[in-house]
Amino acid sequence: MSLHLPCPNCGADVVFRSPALPNRVCDYCRSMLVRSDAGVARVGEVAALPFDVSPVQIGMRGSADGKGFEVIGRVRWAWTDGSWNEWLLLFEDGSNAWLGEAMGQFMLLWERPFAKIRSRYLRDIAGGRDAIVGNEVQIDNEKMVIADAREVVCIAAEGELPFTAMPDWRLYSVDLRGRQGECATLQRDGAEASFYQGRYVTLAELAPRGLRAIEGWALPAYAA
Amino acid sequence: MAPPAPAARALTCPACGGGVELRAAGYTVHVACQYCGSILDVTDPQVKLVTQYHHQAAQLEIPLGTRGALRGVEWEAIGYLRRSENGTYGWEEYLLFNPYHGYRWLVKVRGGWSLGEALTVTPDWISYDTLAIGPEAYSHFFADGEAQVDYVLGEFYWRVAVGERVKTGDWVRPGAMLSREENAQEVSWTRNELLPAKEMRKAFGVEPPRKIWPPLPHQPSPYGAWLKTGLAIGAAAFAFLLVMAVLFGGTGWSAAGSFPIAADGREQSATLGPVTLTNRYQKVELRAEVPRLENGWLDIDYRLVDRATQQAYEAYGAAERYSGYDSDGAWNEGSRRSTVSIASVPAGSYDLIVDYKGNRWSGASSSSSDSGWMDAGNQPEVQVEMRQGRIYGSNLFIALLLIALPLLFALIAHATFETARKNESDFASTGDDDEDDE
Repeated sequence: MSLHLPCPNCGADVVFRSPALPNRVCDYCRSMLVRSDAGVARVGEVAALPFDVSPVQIGMRGSADGKGFEVIGRVRWAWTDGSWNEWLLLFEDGSNAWLGEAMGQFMLLWERPFAKIRSRYLRDIAGGRDAIVGNEVQIDNEKMVIADAREVVCIAAEGELPFTAMPDWRLYSVDLRGRQGECATLQRDGAEASFYQGRYVTLAELAPRGLRAIEGWALPAYAA
Repeated sequence: MAPPAPAARALTCPACGGGVELRAAGYTVHVACQYCGSILDVTDPQVKLVTQYHHQAAQLEIPLGTRGALRGVEWEAIGYLRRSENGTYGWEEYLLFNPYHGYRWLVKVRGGWSLGEALTVTPDWISYDTLAIGPEAYSHFFADGEAQVDYVLGEFYWRVAVGERVKTGDWVRPGAMLSREENAQEVSWTRNELLPAKEMRKAFGVEPPRKIWPPLPHQPSPYGAWLKTGLAIGAAAFAFLLVMAVLFGGTGWSAAGSFPIAADGREQSATLGPVTLTNRYQKVELRAEVPRLENGWLDIDYRLVDRATQQAYEAYGAAERYSGYDSDGAWNEGSRRSTVSIASVPAGSYDLIVDYKGNRWSGASSSSSDSGWMDAGNQPEVQVEMRQGRIYGSNLFIALLLIALPLLFALIAHATFETARKNESDFASTGDDDEDDE
């Protein structure tokens, strides 16, 4: 059930839709809010999102694996060679996933407990070792290749989020790719490690409704 | 509903002060200024100058900002790269963008255009020189190449730099090419599909050359499809002829008889039969031979009469033969044989009635007073033979030749095309690689 609370900074109405998503960026004053049993606290202010021409926006709906979802949050990450969006999807059964959007391609990723991943190599990376691009890693029964490894920094966020994404939050991020379009990301934050696994998708196969309208461009046939 | 988001972000080139439009804001990392060619980093709101140039930007065949629809999707040309293999064998690449469909490449090699899409899957090795993506197999064409960037203009989703090098390899199938690019950090695969000249003309108004020679590695032979269709039609036509030959032909039966020819030249009649014709329709061949014929002729009227219906099929034949001496010596002309045929005789039981009449040539140079070849002492006779006709083998052969001739020309053209195409490959089997490896 959604919880409506006033923003402690500006008083605007803010919505928390899931106990799994305690963080929220106020749509009006850009305060980063955290909800706890004690109430809502303001922990800082996030930067305004830089202008982009992403076709995804908060409120876009779609479906994946037969389940409907709504886009409810976004984090924008940057590294030395550019930046990309991670959109948070809230599914109708209450679960959530990320839709990564980089270089015009989309990745659908679900978080998996890192403790469940039996890979010595990934464990070493989580323990502080650097990943080597091109190395192979076996995850479950799939061979995956390390496609990218770099330090990333959070530059902006909006909407609801499962964590406090503050500007200048730095992570070590390792991207893996399988042969058939599988993909995964390992993020190391100090001693903590998070693992996300999924696959490449096209926007069309998510059957999106409420795509962002962009001046001068016709909406694709599947969304019109 | 929110108003549509603007499509472009405007910025000012720190090198020349020119206005630069960012068409893929949020994705674009580097922009080469359309006025001075300087490379700008746009990852931060503060635009940074990466490499300063002051050259006149090149005139492009497809000016950046041009839009065109390819295969139902509208694309905008936003970036341009000129690349080469260490300065030789140059080619051009346009980066296409659509906010809803991402990026594609428009690659121009020796006048031919291809549409490239970055793959999210990795091809499978099927054999040492064959790769596959799903059901599509690709054979190795270029190996161990090195591509460098010679010139850039417009915007890109990575850091572009003139002189940047990648290792390349290419695999082909008719109509498509699979390209691998590798640098120290990553391996990427692109599938390039050949765009017919008509499509490029319609989409971007460019006029590709009429003929590209030698052919592009993934250019399908224009004779291939024709040849395939031609072979199918030819095979069908020949099969049809064979079926006709079987239905209306057939062998194995013949009737024959010998009949004396009266010396007085009266008309005589003889009957052969009954004969049974079993095919639904057949050609009946009638042959007559007159062994003793000399300086005269034999008229033969055939009537093939159906016993059941009395329907008659008629034919006329004649055998004539003359000989003599003149200033040039001995001569003869004509033939002692006559062959005629009756087409499309239906099945049934038939009698062949032969009416024949012998004639002498009065102008014979022989001075003797005997009655010539018809003299009873010569025992003149006519041997009549009836055959169930075949569709002549020669007819079948001519038909086959007519069918095969254009196919043969197409086959030669196809082979020439394929040889020229494959000669470009690092895996050319003809061994004249040296010419191509400059």
